[in-house]
Amino acid sequence: MPLTARGREILGSLPGVAPVTTTDGIGCEIVRLDELCIGCGRCVKACPSGAIAESSLFDPAQLFDAPPGTTRGALGAALRRIARHEPDGPFEVPERVRTFRTIEFDRGRCLGCGACTRACPTGAVAARPVGGDEIGARHVVAESLSAVPA
Amino acid sequence: MPSAATARAARVTDDAEADGDDERTIIGFFCRECAYAAADATGNARIPLPATVRSVLVPCTGRVGPLHVLSALAEGADGVFLAGCLEGQCHHREGNLSAIDRVAFVQRLLASVGVEPERVQMFTMSAADSPRFVAATRQMHATISGLPRLGRR
Repeated sequence: MPLTARGREILGSLPGVAPVTTTDGIGCEIVRLDELCIGCGRCVKACPSGAIAESSLFDPAQLFDAPPGTTRGALGAALRRIARHEPDGPFEVPERVRTFRTIEFDRGRCLGCGACTRACPTGAVAARPVGGDEIGARHVVAESLSAVPA
Repeated sequence: MPSAATARAARVTDDAEADGDDERTIIGFFCRECAYAAADATGNARIPLPATVRSVLVPCTGRVGPLHVLSALAEGADGVFLAGCLEGQCHHREGNLSAIDRVAFVQRLLASVGVEPERVQMFTMSAADSPRFVAATRQMHATISGLPRLGRR
């Protein structure tokens, strides 16, 4: 992930900072488990880089996959009793319905900070450590920052 | 969280099914501030209503969520309708507007699995509008009577 415009601005304004090199996925790799998602949108609010957004669509299959004992699970069970066929696929959600929206995750904009993982009440977002190359890239940023005169 | 009233109404339906009765069951969620008062006025005026409709009193139609509606359908109702305040006249500010969108959501959900979306509808009326309440109830009864019984697994 390249630095955000704000990050570049801050680094650019500092005297004596070496050119900054970054790469994709600094920090953690974010893995989303959509079947556990309750659509509360806390990850959307927590995300500092705008990588997570509530879409205007909802896929009914998410209700069928939800674990029993949850509201979505109960909805899925009720819907399954009266369903005549498998769900057709995503449909447009009315404006005031907030919690039944598929959460879109843009990996390209993710900083890997893990804010969404901490904000998630159901453990539907996992943060995993990334591979060696990317940790190396993090050091490049750290070194450029340490080059700033005190 | 299906309410006790929904469960009770559904049990009545199960009994009817056991008797081989082809009568449909419709669950109506009525807002305390308007539709319930209109229903009360209808009763006081002794205007006959379809016996298929079972009423559930709610403080506001905004309280009714997709789970209430789907549970009612899954547990035995053939149709569900919400009757709330006129737009802009909700006693809880925007509960009826939420309900309108939730009903639209449930309709799309039903359509996506092949169930007729008109089984779930929303009506708005004022507390004094007993004729509108009667019309809504009869319209719902006519719609559901024209549909086959809702099959369940």
